[in-house]
Amino acid sequence: MNEAERAFVLKNFSEYYQKAEISVPSIEQREFGIGGFQKKIEARHMGFPNNGALKNYLIGNTPLYISHSIAYYKYPEATPMENKEWGGGDLVFDLDMHAGMFMKKEEIEKVRNDAISLIEQLQADFGIKKEEMTVVFSGGRGFHIHVRSPEYRMLGGDERREIADYLGGIGLDYRKFFGRIDRYKIAGPKRTDWGYRGRLCKLVEKTLQERPQLIHGRLKKEEEAAKLRSCMEDGNWSKTTISDIVERLEEVAEGLKVDTINVDAGVTIDTKRLIRVPNTLHGSTGLAARTLKTLEGFNPYNDAVAFGDEPVKIKAVLDIPEQEFSNKTMEKMKKEEEKEVPKSYAIYLILKGAAVISSRAAYR
Amino acid sequence: MDLLFACKYPFTSEARQAIEENNIEISDFIAEKAVTRVVSALRGESVHANPMHISDQLAEIGSYGAARMMLAFLHNKYLINKFAVAEAKRASSAMGRENAENLRKLQKELGIFPSSFEGKTVVPLPTFLTFSPRAIDYRLINRNVKGGFVEVNSREIIRLMEEAVKTKAEKISPLKDPPESVRKYAAELMKLVPKQVPIPMSFREGDNPPCIEKLLEVAKSHQNLGHQGRWALAVYLINKGMADEKINQVYSNFPDYDERISKYQIKHARDRGYKMPACTMMMSYGLCVADCRVGNPLRWKKR
Repeated sequence: MNEAERAFVLKNFSEYYQKAEISVPSIEQREFGIGGFQKKIEARHMGFPNNGALKNYLIGNTPLYISHSIAYYKYPEATPMENKEWGGGDLVFDLDMHAGMFMKKEEIEKVRNDAISLIEQLQADFGIKKEEMTVVFSGGRGFHIHVRSPEYRMLGGDERREIADYLGGIGLDYRKFFGRIDRYKIAGPKRTDWGYRGRLCKLVEKTLQERPQLIHGRLKKEEEAAKLRSCMEDGNWSKTTISDIVERLEEVAEGLKVDTINVDAGVTIDTKRLIRVPNTLHGSTGLAARTLKTLEGFNPYNDAVAFGDEPVKIKAVLDIPEQEFSNKTMEKMKKEEEKEVPKSYAIYLILKGAAVISSRAAYR
Repeated sequence: MDLLFACKYPFTSEARQAIEENNIEISDFIAEKAVTRVVSALRGESVHANPMHISDQLAEIGSYGAARMMLAFLHNKYLINKFAVAEAKRASSAMGRENAENLRKLQKELGIFPSSFEGKTVVPLPTFLTFSPRAIDYRLINRNVKGGFVEVNSREIIRLMEEAVKTKAEKISPLKDPPESVRKYAAELMKLVPKQVPIPMSFREGDNPPCIEKLLEVAKSHQNLGHQGRWALAVYLINKGMADEKINQVYSNFPDYDERISKYQIKHARDRGYKMPACTMMMSYGLCVADCRVGNPLRWKKR
């Protein structure tokens, strides 16, 4: 990217910030970091007294990326880190998709569904209220979920890892749900259990109804199946005549992994993490990291577009596939091809390194 | 005021109140008691004082505060952690025999509030995460979790309380200018510190995989380590060809170190020829901290 392109991008970023509504909760306690064309974070330990000051900064100094700490600090600008005096932090989840130049429809859907399940699970298992969560498009290829629940605020990294592992089913071993009470008695999960234990019982029940032979042929007999059901009533798993029942549940237990959500644990466990400021622009896409009321139907290439449709002439530096953008279909472009495209799309391609501004190409 | 309660649980506000109301100052008697308190903590001995006289009870309570002042002055992390572990164990063994009312009082003090949810005894999830020991049975993934609560039994509640006491007891900020008596007895205390003090460890960063570095870091900062962590570390070091004596030196850094037990366990692990647990096992122990994709910690190569 040459000077002219950089200036073009930053001028448009600055104009976006004049109209954007950016509001960081407890802004005076947050550390900020900014990034440019070299690195996503080039400088940190910055602070803003209020959202107005942040907005002025974004208009006047326009960084390519801006992030704030998930943490609350007494002295956000102090260095080294210990001197900031950590006072807790939001619990943050990052869901990401590995993708090419554009995310495919199914990839968007996959990460969106993951985000929906994550929100459901945070409510059901973790008791987090909907109003305590902010769902944000990352501006890149996924979503950030910020949880601002006072109960979870003071958790350290190890504790946060337990949460990420729980969600992702990391280290999940259903055998751990069973224990021997004595030589003959096996204690195991109950139907009324919660979490993965309860889920395992539900899977066993489903298997008994649909494909009992997956566990053992004998379970096709109603009498034998009833015994197994009764094990799940009180957690006494010695009532079945299948002596190696725990081992035989291996295939059924595979089903536990289906509902797990792979959040980026590195983000969740880092209590001093910097995360993109909601509603600011992502410097690798020019898309806005929008705060979302609902995930239903969200498509970043239509719903996170931050610039207008004025035509900009670009030249492709690689082959660019056809893509839906800003609710229109952008035709594919061959390498070296020149074309006028809407400004938002031009900025996306320039930041992705897939195109350059055409006038420059002509002068070179 | 229940002085006996304060004796058993000298970290409570009730104990503090007793000290203030009775104008307890650090006498030679109290200071000596405090020294004994720390020294027995270092030796891993559990002392259960049950004084009958009010003056003895007050001295007993005072010795906790005096010990903390000495530790604050010495500001030795190893001593502080040893002390905290011993205090937590002492309190928890009393809790096991405690009546319901006192238990509730103590829970309030420690910020642990068991309640009933859908017919199960539970604690709030953040409380559970904060105070659960790092052991496989306490991993969230193996627990009954719902609505922001984790199901627990009465034994586990006491275990959480024990950890909370430890956290409370180890929170000691440095004290630069203590009263003369504290200074004097702190010096006395240092003379009595057994010579099985931890041996500094020399591991180069990057020589070992992140999970093992984390375990070594725990040892270095004199924090306790759960059973699986300790076992995995021993097996790793054995497989790396380290001598028992050296491994034992590493283990001497843990605040609940017991030379006899430690030596036995290391020898046992070697005799049994335990294989290093694979990364998947390390994950299920909750010990995996990075995504290095080596399959087994022993396969780690310096990058």
